[in-house]
Amino acid sequence: MIKTNSVSKVVSTKQEQLTILEDINLDIKTGESVAIVGSSGAGKSTLMTLLAGLDTPSDGVIELLGNDLTSLNDEARAAIRSEFVGFVFQSFLLIPSLSALDNVTLPCLLKGEDEDTERAKSLLTAVGLEHRMEHSPAQLSGGEQQRVALARAFMIQPKVLFADEPTGNLDQQTAEKVIELLFELNKQHGTTLILVTHDMKLAELCERRIRMHAGKLEES
Amino acid sequence: MSMNISPTLNKRLFSWSLSEIRHGQLWPVSIALTLIIACIFALTALAERMEQVVVKQGKDALTADTVFSSANPIPDILLAATQQQELTLSLQTRFATMAFSDNAMKLITVKSVDSQYPLRGEMLLSDDKNTFTHVKPGELWLDERLFSQLSVNTGDVVTVGDADFVVSGRIVEEPGLSFNPFRQMPSVFIHDTDLDKTGAVQRGSRVRFSLFINGDDRAISRLKEQVTLTPSDRWRDQNSASRTNEVFQRTEQYLSLTVAIVVIMAATTLVLTCQHYVSTRRKTIAMLKSLGASRAWIGRWLSIQVFILLLTATVLGIAIGVLLEVALRIPLVDLLPDPLPSYGLSPALIAVMTSVLIAVPALGIPLLGLLNVSAANVMQSSSDYSSGKSYRWLILVPILPMIVAYYQNTMVWIVLGGILVLFLVLAALSLLITRAIAKMPLKPALKLAISRINRSSIATGIQFGALTLSLMLLAVMWLVRTDLLTDWQRTLPADAPNAFALNIAPYEREAYLAALDEQGIERSDDYPIIRGRLVQINGEDAKEYAQGGEGTDALRREINFTFANGIPEHNEVLDGAWSERNGVSVESDVASDLGLEIGDDLNFVINCQQVTAQVNSIREVEWRDMKPNFYFIFTSDVLADIPATYLVSFRLKEQDDSLINQLSREHPTVSLMDIRSMGAKIQQLLTQIVWSITVLAGLGVIAGVMLIFTLLRLSLGQRQSEIQLYRTLGASKKRVTQTIWAEYGLMSLIAGVIAAIGAELVVGALMVYGFDLLPSLHITLWFALPIVTFFTLALVVNSMIRGLLVPINKAFS
Repeated sequence: MIKTNSVSKVVSTKQEQLTILEDINLDIKTGESVAIVGSSGAGKSTLMTLLAGLDTPSDGVIELLGNDLTSLNDEARAAIRSEFVGFVFQSFLLIPSLSALDNVTLPCLLKGEDEDTERAKSLLTAVGLEHRMEHSPAQLSGGEQQRVALARAFMIQPKVLFADEPTGNLDQQTAEKVIELLFELNKQHGTTLILVTHDMKLAELCERRIRMHAGKLEES
Repeated sequence: MSMNISPTLNKRLFSWSLSEIRHGQLWPVSIALTLIIACIFALTALAERMEQVVVKQGKDALTADTVFSSANPIPDILLAATQQQELTLSLQTRFATMAFSDNAMKLITVKSVDSQYPLRGEMLLSDDKNTFTHVKPGELWLDERLFSQLSVNTGDVVTVGDADFVVSGRIVEEPGLSFNPFRQMPSVFIHDTDLDKTGAVQRGSRVRFSLFINGDDRAISRLKEQVTLTPSDRWRDQNSASRTNEVFQRTEQYLSLTVAIVVIMAATTLVLTCQHYVSTRRKTIAMLKSLGASRAWIGRWLSIQVFILLLTATVLGIAIGVLLEVALRIPLVDLLPDPLPSYGLSPALIAVMTSVLIAVPALGIPLLGLLNVSAANVMQSSSDYSSGKSYRWLILVPILPMIVAYYQNTMVWIVLGGILVLFLVLAALSLLITRAIAKMPLKPALKLAISRINRSSIATGIQFGALTLSLMLLAVMWLVRTDLLTDWQRTLPADAPNAFALNIAPYEREAYLAALDEQGIERSDDYPIIRGRLVQINGEDAKEYAQGGEGTDALRREINFTFANGIPEHNEVLDGAWSERNGVSVESDVASDLGLEIGDDLNFVINCQQVTAQVNSIREVEWRDMKPNFYFIFTSDVLADIPATYLVSFRLKEQDDSLINQLSREHPTVSLMDIRSMGAKIQQLLTQIVWSITVLAGLGVIAGVMLIFTLLRLSLGQRQSEIQLYRTLGASKKRVTQTIWAEYGLMSLIAGVIAAIGAELVVGALMVYGFDLLPSLHITLWFALPIVTFFTLALVVNSMIRGLLVPINKAFS
């Protein structure tokens, strides 16, 4: 599903050059659930950014679903994401001016396709928001917003789902509910799941855990 | 991915864009755009109206579109040419003669007109039963004053020259308006078919023949090209006809200045609100890109929103602009032509085009930058993750047309220069001041405020700059208005003379003056009047010496000279000094037009005699103060032997009417001009213009205050989470408010002072180089600007305080 070969990421600032990632070699199989853990500043989010094709490495090769991401431009990588990749973000990132239902159908709009409202409704029902479909994000709690984000992520039936600290902004009880939904939907859709988390309990729910330390990979 | 454009996609994008505009931070952008369009529309339409007023006033003053005036009968070649061009004509012959009734006699001005007169303006004649607008054969219409001076009533017989006329009635209103008392004589109207029977026009008579012409501008230009003028001929057009044109011209200049300033202010708001919008949208754009949105898709999404904004702003802006124009027009209603011609489509086109030109860089640069936001920003907010080209060259889009449109407009360049200097000075001063204040012992709230300003100097600098700029521009608009009005108040000051007595013979001079003095009438000195013409300068023909400059009356025709023992108190000497012998003092504009200097020898022809004098001084004359003023004032020795009549001006009150009648009876050859009604007319006109300008300035100030309000709100909004943190950590409402007031109050005070300095300099430069007036200091401004800012700040804080006092956890839940 996802393969990296000697991937590095170096960032230049005015004062110095920072090596965020160094010589990352990774192979994630279809259907796996992988947790990337590590202390703050270890390079977890940067790694996820590269694996999802949101950015390109300074060195090395990344393959996603058989596509060499490093040889593709922004538009080509966006096209791959629109077809095969779902995202769940720590701060939900819903569109404030759209209702919950419209937020879920957003990926269809981005692809230029007609919105599959029925699918969106069934996803929202699956996450327990059948009575909140017309509400705007401002009218939803944090947990409810994250559930809308989950429904949105699965709208396109992604092959791979990236979740960046999905429970980072939630209280424990809500977080547990969201995690439960995340794994349930994941199982239903047979998606490969890659998530970044500080939460060890969440990490242990995944089949595989990858530890990052000072830009380098340690498998656990 | 290829973007399939399904039929419903555009509809969905459109409805989402509407929602985005409602929910998002785009409403300040739409307000700024609407304001630009509304103000430009209203002001451009008003400028069009003012142009109509100027032209109408000028033509009304002239009583035609143009006038050919001569001391000789109108040449046949001209009459034939006018017929060829299909122009409308009216002939007038004007001369002085004696009028006799059974009881009295009087020297009068006779205006012999045809049935077309006047071609423009209004003439009202009344026989106490009906009113008439034209003169018919056999009629005689008298100036009101002549009824008592000749002791006649309507229906009585008056002899004019050799002819007897029955008095038809009185002249209620005479067309034309002139400041020159020598051209405003108590007059009578007769029909030109009756001219010959008066016998007054003989060879050698002093007569003025005028041909009034109405028609298309191009036809009139063609006509003028066919006519060669003799020394006694001249063309008079609406631009030269009326002194009140100076008022209108300054009003038009003020209008164009206000348009430019309001546009700059609204453009500043647009730039800042758009930047704020963009800063709140980075994450969203990154998220959309992470979900697979292509650049083209995002471009389309943003374009639809911009299109909706521009369309809404255009419709609303023009609607508000139309209403504003109506409101601004109200004070001018009496001055505008009736029916009111349309201002056409040009204000709408100019308004929309200007707003589009401004919107291209103001919206384009930040929005195109948004397209460059990297998808990686969704997880890692960093400016290093933006890539792509810069679109700063878009700033040329409004700048190039602006240069083309305004390159000859000194005032706009002065304002722009002021803005540039302001920003440079501001950058240095603001940082110096805040750093200096930081070293002082301060209360906690102030300390926190200074620390914050110093930490985020660039962000603070931009807001500071925008605030100071807005205050400065607001002040410039108001001060220019104030200075213009102060200058206009010198037009017919309250104590100005409102009557002139001329043609006073030497033998009756003492008695005339004594009669005025006995009644306690406030009067000027009496001035001897001798008519003559300047013919040579330093031995050269005057016209050649002046290199063909005929802009001054000094060369065009005979003018009135006087002599005295010194320069009048109400004339300011600019150069040289009065001499005792063989000298002449010259008015400054004439000296400038003719290139005269102290010591130049001038040769005059007076009553066929040659007279020489040397320029001893150059003085400035305020023609509008209605005191007797002259282009040339000679030393006594030069003209004392030449026969002269006398002129005196004085101020009449209502109870002085009987004195005037008495003087007219006792001195029938003295021409007395009572300009009280003309003065009232001019005052009324000025009052209307003043109102209009004040409403205009008020509009500009409101636009400025709205801009400041928006800026402060934006700035405070950006501080919201920080302020909420203070609250979360336990700060009281008082402490929070103190912190806000400390930071923004300090910023307002410094901005107000710097804006005051900038405004004084800019207004001073505008007065000198733009309006040709003297600059002055405005002490109240130094207090008013900070007060205006504090007041606006209070409004902003009041509108936002509730949200600012909500602790963070509450804000998030």
